Amino acid sequence: MRSRFDEQLSILNTEMIRMGALCEEVISLASRALTHGGDAADRAIAVDAEIDRKERDIEGLCMKLLLLEHPVARDLRVVSSALKMISDMERIGDQAANIAEITGYISGIDVPEALHIGDMARATVKMVTDSVDSFVKNDLDMARGVMKYDDVVDGLFDKVKNGLVDLIRGGNFDAEAALDLLMVAKYFERIGDHAVNVAEWVEYSITGVRSNNETSEVSGI
Amino acid sequence: MINRIFRTTFAIAMVILIVALLLFVGILYGYFNDNVFTELEAEAGYIARGIELSGIGYFDDFTTPNRVTYIDRDGDVVYDSSANPVDMENHASRDEIMQALETGESTSARYSETLSENTLYYAMRLGNGDVLRVATRQSSLFALIMSLMPPILITIVLAAVLGLALSRRLARRITEPIISLDLDHPEDSDTYEELSPLLRKLRRQNDMIKEQMSRLKKRQEEFTAITENMSEGFLLIDSQTNLLSYNSSALRLLGASDPQAGQSVLALERGESFRKVIDEALEGHHSEALMHDGERCYQLYANCVRHNGQVVGAVIAVLDVTEREEREALRREFSANVTHELKTPLTSISGFAEIMMNGIASPGDIPEFAGDIYSEAQRLITLVDDILHLSQLDEEAPLPRSEIDLRAMCESVAERLRQPADKAGVSISVTGDSPTVTGAQSVVDEIIFNVCENAVKYNRRGGNVIISLHDKPGEVELSVSDTGIGIPAADRERVFERFYRVDKSHSKEIGGTGLGLSIVKHGCASQGIALSLESEVDAGTTITLRWNKKA
Repeated sequence: MRSRFDEQLSILNTEMIRMGALCEEVISLASRALTHGGDAADRAIAVDAEIDRKERDIEGLCMKLLLLEHPVARDLRVVSSALKMISDMERIGDQAANIAEITGYISGIDVPEALHIGDMARATVKMVTDSVDSFVKNDLDMARGVMKYDDVVDGLFDKVKNGLVDLIRGGNFDAEAALDLLMVAKYFERIGDHAVNVAEWVEYSITGVRSNNETSEVSGI
Repeated sequence: MINRIFRTTFAIAMVILIVALLLFVGILYGYFNDNVFTELEAEAGYIARGIELSGIGYFDDFTTPNRVTYIDRDGDVVYDSSANPVDMENHASRDEIMQALETGESTSARYSETLSENTLYYAMRLGNGDVLRVATRQSSLFALIMSLMPPILITIVLAAVLGLALSRRLARRITEPIISLDLDHPEDSDTYEELSPLLRKLRRQNDMIKEQMSRLKKRQEEFTAITENMSEGFLLIDSQTNLLSYNSSALRLLGASDPQAGQSVLALERGESFRKVIDEALEGHHSEALMHDGERCYQLYANCVRHNGQVVGAVIAVLDVTEREEREALRREFSANVTHELKTPLTSISGFAEIMMNGIASPGDIPEFAGDIYSEAQRLITLVDDILHLSQLDEEAPLPRSEIDLRAMCESVAERLRQPADKAGVSISVTGDSPTVTGAQSVVDEIIFNVCENAVKYNRRGGNVIISLHDKPGEVELSVSDTGIGIPAADRERVFERFYRVDKSHSKEIGGTGLGLSIVKHGCASQGIALSLESEVDAGTTITLRWNKKA
């Protein structure tokens, strides 16, 4: 007989997977809106609204678990890291929706392939997918892989930035579109950071130790 | 059980001990009482004799531990051994005196609370009508028990210690056979007779459980055998999307590793269409969807499972429909192509005919238009022929097989192509051995012709086409090499598709229907010929046909 608490934890896990899947969807839609246009942008914005709802639902569930069940040790880590993870996921949704909005302004612009912004979109989608996967599979190695992969996205951001500088200097590229593209690149880069955060919370929920690139290791509960 | 037996026996032992002690003390007390009265009676007898002999003066030098009182018939105290008779009140109303005056003797006991002592009286009427009373004090029952307390306590403690040890051992001895019962083989155990109905029932239930388990296991195995041998994936989930059952095909199709028990099915796959199908099924509807995962394409069917009118879960079937989808895409492409290819010459014919009908064309141009109409109609006929041919090959109508002299056939093909080859400035040559193979003459001829025709068509001016034959041990090899434009790597797989052209913009100039290589591919498949293609862009293409001699 499963206890009520276990049942609620399993519901929490399922809801987290759903929210993660929505994040993957919103970022794929945003990058599709960037490369193919069409109704992907509108759908991305709709999915973002769903992510926001899901965040509130999961938040409520976590609070209920914390207040009524008083989880300890690993269970407490799972609930508290879920609480932190959903805010990162929610940010991923927001920023993907922002990208989708911007694609409306630059729909007429032919984005040069050499700008690597497509690569950046793909790399970010991969990071989000992997971070959600690492949560679903409780895979520590995969979570650490996501943290390392952030360097790739950061590198791509620099490339995009330099490429845009060259394009503007060249003179025959719409400067406004260039700025929009820079924003898009920055959003992708931020999404990558949030994916890293998610991966870090996955690591924390498994090991109880939260590693952080900037500060020294903080030991957990 | 041990505790219970132990406690009960110990308690019983203690109760018996205490009751026995109390009874013992009570009986003892009664016995002592009787004794006391007998003594008092005897003493009173002696004193009465003494008084009868020496009168009241008998008391003058009289000593006794008991209290002796002499009362005259009116109740006045004449003598008392322990008090001054003058101070004493009239005793006529005392029970024992009244009774003694009436019946001759009496006994009485009175309890003095202040002394916590009983006073026992014996009174007898003397011959002269006076009454002699002898009294003695006796400790009460309580005082007696109190005075007996130390030995009683020692007895109780001793008995308790002994009782503890013995009753514990007894409890152990009683429970040991029950504890050591072998529950799997209850009737083999050597134990109390009273337990045998229970043990019989236990064995019957054991048998029943065993039988039911084996039946369940068999059913489970049958179910597993069915689901495991399905190429379709099968998943069973509860209303919280937790995975209850699955087969290995499902894991393979979803590309998932072994899931943990009770994990959500969304951990295996969380794509949008998968989630939608599950959600709809759990809402109580039948649901279907196509799911794309990279290059593969899966059909999902989900149905809810109801129990007492409530949705308690869902069954999901996953089918790999990649090939079906690909075939359908090809068919769609084919019909689009056929319509297009048929429409182009028809449009030209209709256009030329319209000009002629309206009389716009000068009579001098009419033969030219008629010629165009004729050539377009010819094109249509070839196209329809090719399509018919392909559908014939599709239907695989068996054609008569015979010995084919490949060398002769190649030379005849080269001869037939001489004219267009000369026009294109391409030379054709046949080299190598003279092998023979078995097959359908017309089909093999068509294959070689189509391959060579392409080699001529997609060549450059001044190039050549070499048909070389090799009679190797085990197989016959025929290769057609050209020095033409070559086929880009990306198109090499697709050139055998119907209507596929590498360079779509120039197809009209080169002519042909776009079905040549498709006919080659189908022909080879029906004749059991292995077909391979090597090509380098701008250097040439080699198509090789291989017959397996053993086949």
